[in-house]
Amino acid sequence: MDWTAERRDRALLGGWLTGAFAISAITDPRVLAAVGLVLMVTFRRGLAAVLRRVLRSVVPVTVGLSLVSWAWLLLVSGRRPEVQPFLALGLRTCLIAFSTFAVLARVQLFPALAPWPTLTRLLVITLAQIHALRLLATESRLGLRSRLLHEPRALDVVRGAGGITGALFTLSTRNARDVSDAMRSRGF
Amino acid sequence: MHIPDGFLSPQITIPAYAISAPLWAWGVRRHFGHSSAESLPVVGSLTAVAFVIQTIMIPVPGGTSTHLVGVALLALLYHPLVAFVCESLVLLVQALFFGAGGITVLGINALAMGLLGPVAGWLVYRAFARFSEKGAAFLAAYVAVQISTAAIALVLGLQHRLSEKYFPIPFAVTFPATMVPSLTMTGVVEGLYTLFALSLLRKARVRGLDS
Repeated sequence: MDWTAERRDRALLGGWLTGAFAISAITDPRVLAAVGLVLMVTFRRGLAAVLRRVLRSVVPVTVGLSLVSWAWLLLVSGRRPEVQPFLALGLRTCLIAFSTFAVLARVQLFPALAPWPTLTRLLVITLAQIHALRLLATESRLGLRSRLLHEPRALDVVRGAGGITGALFTLSTRNARDVSDAMRSRGF
Repeated sequence: MHIPDGFLSPQITIPAYAISAPLWAWGVRRHFGHSSAESLPVVGSLTAVAFVIQTIMIPVPGGTSTHLVGVALLALLYHPLVAFVCESLVLLVQALFFGAGGITVLGINALAMGLLGPVAGWLVYRAFARFSEKGAAFLAAYVAVQISTAAIALVLGLQHRLSEKYFPIPFAVTFPATMVPSLTMTGVVEGLYTLFALSLLRKARVRGLDS
């Protein structure tokens, strides 16, 4: 990656961070909709994939939470709560998530973080371990399910989680040391 | 448990960053400064374990689910500041790559889940460990979750107080909605998890930052 691309990535990350805070200050749904349109035009390349990610990971939680709260307020107060603040709440969350996914798809995060080698190393180790541990956790969950005659209950899950933590931690530390040593030998 | 992006205005998120930033710097300098070559892998592992623990969902009556936090364990094993740095990293990774929580609310989530809860748990553990180590571990984790959850609910209540148009859900709704599952389910489960994990890690003699 050349110097110009690194600078562009850092500028994009800075712009995204400022933009996220700016979006989080807007309360008018019309302004948020306009910002959304501008973002979609700006980040039109790969738009469908980013929208899919937002729909999958952010919309269900935000919309579900807003709907339940709105219905609860309707039930308690006996009159319809204003829809506008709930709409703005959902739009803000989705727009910030959209800008995050769109920007991260365009920047090379690790070269952009090159001036902070400690942070880079920590992030690389953490992400590598998360990937390995998620695979292990999935296997452990399937193992737990296969050993029980019934669906795992809360206590079964906790016992399982407590039990695998020692093994996960030991394995993870060993792997992390390998990754860290490899990175150090490459100048990080 | 954590607050998503867009739920809090910059009136709250920027001061939260202003408080968190020096604490991050202090935590990193104090625990990962001089011996970072040795401690970074351990921190990475702790962070990853906390991340994975947070993906373990516990079914809650009513068709929804809640999740473990796992940072009380870090505070008891090492130090609340280590827990704070690790939880902040978990929240950063969740915000950047998984769309959970968010970048604007990172400071406030880190303070609530990574600092207030673990500090409270650590203090409880120090106060009660002389009577029963296991009981103290359970109680510490239980208290840590309650403090974190109450802090999250209070911040959301404060946002509603600052502007109803911004966050339309009143504290009277937010507080019971967050605290009831926490008091009845998450706290108990976190306590049991911490108890099991702590005794296993002690048995396995897993060493940490000073290894």
